Amino acid sequence: MTRYKTLRDFPVEEYLSPGSTMCAGCGAMLVLRAFHKVLGPNVVFVNAAGCLTLLQVYPYTPNKSSWMYTAFASAPAGAQGIRDALDILMEKGRVNSFEDLKVVVVTGDGAAYDIGLQSTSGAIERGLDFYYLVYDNEAYGNTGFQKSGATPYGSATATTPPTERNPTGYTGVKKDLFEIWRSHKPPYIATVAPSHMVDMLRKIETASQFKGPKLFIAFSSCPTGWGFDPSLSVRISRLAVECGIWPLKESVYGKVRHTYIPTVLKPVEEYLRHQNRFRHLFTPRKQETAIASIQEQVNNYWLEAAKNEGFRITVAKPVTIAPP
Amino acid sequence: MLRIRFHGRGGQGVKTSSRILGRAAFSAGFFAQDFPIYGAERRGAPVTAFTRISHSPIMERGYIFNPHIVVVMDETLLADAQARPLEDLPRGGVALINSARGPIFSEDQAGHVFMRINFTDPALRIIGKPIVSVSAAAAAAKLCGLRKQHVEEAVREELSELGVRDELLEKNLMLMSETYDNTPRYSIKVDEERVGAVELVDPASGRVVYSDVFAAGNAVHRATGNWRVFRPVVDYGKCTGCKVCFIYCPDSAISLDAENKPVIDYEHCKGCLICVVECPIRAISSVREVEIFA
Ligand code: SF4
Ligand code: SF4
Ligand code: SF4
Repeated sequence: MTRYKTLRDFPVEEYLSPGSTMCAGCGAMLVLRAFHKVLGPNVVFVNAAGCLTLLQVYPYTPNKSSWMYTAFASAPAGAQGIRDALDILMEKGRVNSFEDLKVVVVTGDGAAYDIGLQSTSGAIERGLDFYYLVYDNEAYGNTGFQKSGATPYGSATATTPPTERNPTGYTGVKKDLFEIWRSHKPPYIATVAPSHMVDMLRKIETASQFKGPKLFIAFSSCPTGWGFDPSLSVRISRLAVECGIWPLKESVYGKVRHTYIPTVLKPVEEYLRHQNRFRHLFTPRKQETAIASIQEQVNNYWLEAAKNEGFRITVAKPVTIAPP
Repeated sequence: MLRIRFHGRGGQGVKTSSRILGRAAFSAGFFAQDFPIYGAERRGAPVTAFTRISHSPIMERGYIFNPHIVVVMDETLLADAQARPLEDLPRGGVALINSARGPIFSEDQAGHVFMRINFTDPALRIIGKPIVSVSAAAAAAKLCGLRKQHVEEAVREELSELGVRDELLEKNLMLMSETYDNTPRYSIKVDEERVGAVELVDPASGRVVYSDVFAAGNAVHRATGNWRVFRPVVDYGKCTGCKVCFIYCPDSAISLDAENKPVIDYEHCKGCLICVVECPIRAISSVREVEIFA
């Protein structure tokens, strides 16, 4: 049974005060706020360098909970230390069990996909009882939007600008962190997006039943880095899900299930064209091949998933390439 | 040498502004230097950039502590304890301020000349966005005695480098021209000899503000309402109390009253306008913000 059936069930208690220095319209804040609401007040966040690090700049913090800052690569190691300390103190009777804290690693994609990947791998392997929340804005957003392991094909970043020789921007692929994590067979992994709030609340609730690693990859629309009007933050997230770019799914001990199926996929163009980081794909000349290849990746993903899980899906046509 | 310091918020084009001014001076045959303070590049957070202009090679390096002109691209920064845009502005120095109330010219007791000019509304009218880099650069350039043709050249080059082309570039040039014309000519006379005295503050004096590291949720003491260009306004006659705006406010700036109707905290709302877009029945509208929240 879930406590979260409709948007009306969104918890009212507030654990993050206003007055942070995050950008207006930041998608990562929507995710963090929802997580805090479901997990409640007894939480300690363990953070590695990223945008949200600047939530806590002395003397101010919006958190009504605790926050520990670690080096870029070692947030899961920090989480292990806190978990062990709490366990030992409880065993010795120096901390009451009702004072116990949920240990939540919160990092950006830079730490999750690149710099802290090994320490996460270690923590999952050791079966550490913790949550990992990555707010994925698909680049190093805090330092001016350089490419990270989460940057998708076709995105312009400060370090992969479209040039005459390479007009497409980044031409590699986004690492599949979900699958990297899943190969460790942890109890719970999920992807979430702020536009699909009930789905997100339920997943956090489901995760709480498990002891061990509970890992989340959150779509985090980033008006500053992606170049769109802050008011569209939730819309962009919705489009990412409806176009099939950001699948909503979960994995329980390695078994995958999609929790929301966009039965008729919208063309990826609808998602891409609202963002400056993809603007070069549309102007001064439309890069049909690049857009078609993004569509094809999305289509293949969903056809495969539909086959595995036995659901129906209508994919969007790759854009037809006009003869020269 | 002329020293110009730019203060603004991330996303307003502070760095670009200092670059346009530097390049315009360079095109006009001067020596020039321009650079920002590098930090977390956050939309809304205070940002500072500098330009130096001189007839002879510039040997001076580093931040500008004794500016002739401070350009304040967001009036609310005047009250910001961290930005302190007027700091070390000498007698006779000009504070060029972007203000919705402009044009107003005044002087304060310390002999600072205040020129309030409205950059934001012309930018909204002409380019459709509250980006004021071009206006700020144009106004500062005129105060520095640079000619319009050099500013135009600089805007063209700087914005093209940023990938701004065609129609948008032309609009920016219109904006530049309009602001240049609306800025009065003024010859700046400051007392160059003034030496900044170092002040020692006793930590126990009460003038040093600090906070307990165990303070929880004290960010509420930092007003972020000044980040706003537009203010969301709820039409309570229409609102059904569906909570959607409450759910999608990233900054917890909306709370609910007893009937689940939203109450917007204007001291903190950053004006992202997600609530305006997400309200299913469009019961929230946006209006241009003119109030200041200290
Ligand atoms: S850069 Fe992007 S992710 Fe970082 S605070 Fe700004 S909007 Fe959020
Ligand atoms: S404009 Fe943005 S910050 Fe302000 S109340 Fe609406 S959602 Fe919240
Ligand atoms: S989203 Fe609109 S209708 Fe719903 S509570 Fe907010 S203002 Fe009222």
